[in-house]
Amino acid sequence: MHDKKDGSKGNIIMVTEGASIPDPREWRLINAWSIALVGAVSTLFALCLLWPEPYLRILLYLPDGVLITFKITVLSICCAVPLGLLTGLGRISNNRLINLVASTYVEVIRGIPLLVQIFYIYYALSRFVQVSGVTSAVVAISFCYGAYMGEVFRAGITAISKGQSEAARSLGFNGFQTMRYVVLPQAMRTILPPVGNECIAMLKDTSLVSIMAVPDIMQRARSFVGTTYLYFETYTVVALIYLVITLILSKTVSIMEARLNYYDGK
Amino acid sequence: MTESSTAATQDAPAPIIAISNVWKYFGSLPALQDVSLDVASGERVVIIGPSGSGKSTLLRSINRLEEIDQGSIVVKGQNIMSPDNDINLVRQNLGMVFQQFNLFPHKTVLENLTLAPIKLRKLSREEAESRALGLLKKVGISDKANVYPAMLSGGQQQRVAIARALAMQPDIMLFDEPTSALDPEMVGEVLDVMVKLAEEGMTMVCVTHEMGFARTVADRLIFMDQGQIVEQGRPETLFTTPRHPRLRQFLNQIL
Repeated sequence: MHDKKDGSKGNIIMVTEGASIPDPREWRLINAWSIALVGAVSTLFALCLLWPEPYLRILLYLPDGVLITFKITVLSICCAVPLGLLTGLGRISNNRLINLVASTYVEVIRGIPLLVQIFYIYYALSRFVQVSGVTSAVVAISFCYGAYMGEVFRAGITAISKGQSEAARSLGFNGFQTMRYVVLPQAMRTILPPVGNECIAMLKDTSLVSIMAVPDIMQRARSFVGTTYLYFETYTVVALIYLVITLILSKTVSIMEARLNYYDGK
Repeated sequence: MTESSTAATQDAPAPIIAISNVWKYFGSLPALQDVSLDVASGERVVIIGPSGSGKSTLLRSINRLEEIDQGSIVVKGQNIMSPDNDINLVRQNLGMVFQQFNLFPHKTVLENLTLAPIKLRKLSREEAESRALGLLKKVGISDKANVYPAMLSGGQQQRVAIARALAMQPDIMLFDEPTSALDPEMVGEVLDVMVKLAEEGMTMVCVTHEMGFARTVADRLIFMDQGQIVEQGRPETLFTTPRHPRLRQFLNQIL
């Protein structure tokens, strides 16, 4: 049996932030993921049962914020993933101009903190058009994460062996068809975990938009604290809510990853 | 004088592949030096030579996986370097088999065979699949149609790769050391398929180290060294009475 070099698992891609994605082959009942989830949920329940005042009140005050957080996250993912794909393709393009544009974009965006970008886009945009906080948040986060994801896509695509695209080209596929039918479907497998990771990191980073008075989880919590001064209690609940959401998301990514491994022959 | 030369050109059919004065450099290193080679329709050409002699580069130049720096390559009357000719259409007529098989691991065996015919030849799925199943039967693995390549042995994978190239119904098949990555016991099954193909009259250009195959199948054997065609002719002639010292040395080393 030959161990083919192509389609190998993405040990080339390094991830420095974001939640850890559970190993899809980990089926034991007790693992880090389940301990964290059960711990977070039961703590939340226990707090609300034992001290409904103030914990239950806090918990009931936040759901509007959860919706806003989700909205920003989903919209940003919808923009950042295609942007990341384009950037990744641009970074490996033989066209010097496209390559330069994509590389410069990545270089510039990665060098500026997201918080600064959010401020900048919010105030820069408002010079020309009146935009809502949500819109500018989505624009800023998409731009920022598009650059990060561009690197992930680039690494995932270059990890597919050259023989694959040569085989496709020799059958008569053009460059686009080769990407579409042969390279990208295989790259998806290495790309998915780190992209999922970026999406989770993105969800957490949406908490930065609270400074623009966008009523996400964090902003709702801050306004709650502003009237009640229950700092510790409120931020405990906020932390637990973020944790539960990211744990569920990371498991979702893990399940998708397992489903993409269908052709391993194992 | 003029009459006889036109008569001669009419007698000999135009070569299906015409390689003229081709130069190819890797950096400053010449990989091909002024190589010329005509392949007639239905001819079986086998290229041998030490590693680094440029034989794979020459083969890969024919379907432009390598871009040549000078000279011309004309396949079925189409200059492959000319911007007027769509290289993707030329390649549809040039089946290629690689040393590393390069099957698409995310597709089943059947899908490997039907992908290009459906997308490029615009065949219906049913038509492409029935043709693919016929080809799998021909290469002797019809029972593996619905498994993924990772489940197959190397020999089976290479036979699927040959079938995949044949699924586009090419006029010419290029083989780039098709048995070099195989365990010894699997070489035979792949060569059997290639011999069968040769017997059917397929035009073949094959880079290989299998001298037995070269001897039985080749109409013409070509020996390359240092980017040049050093000697060519009938295989039995080359094997028994090699003229060039480098070919003699090469044969001594491998036989």
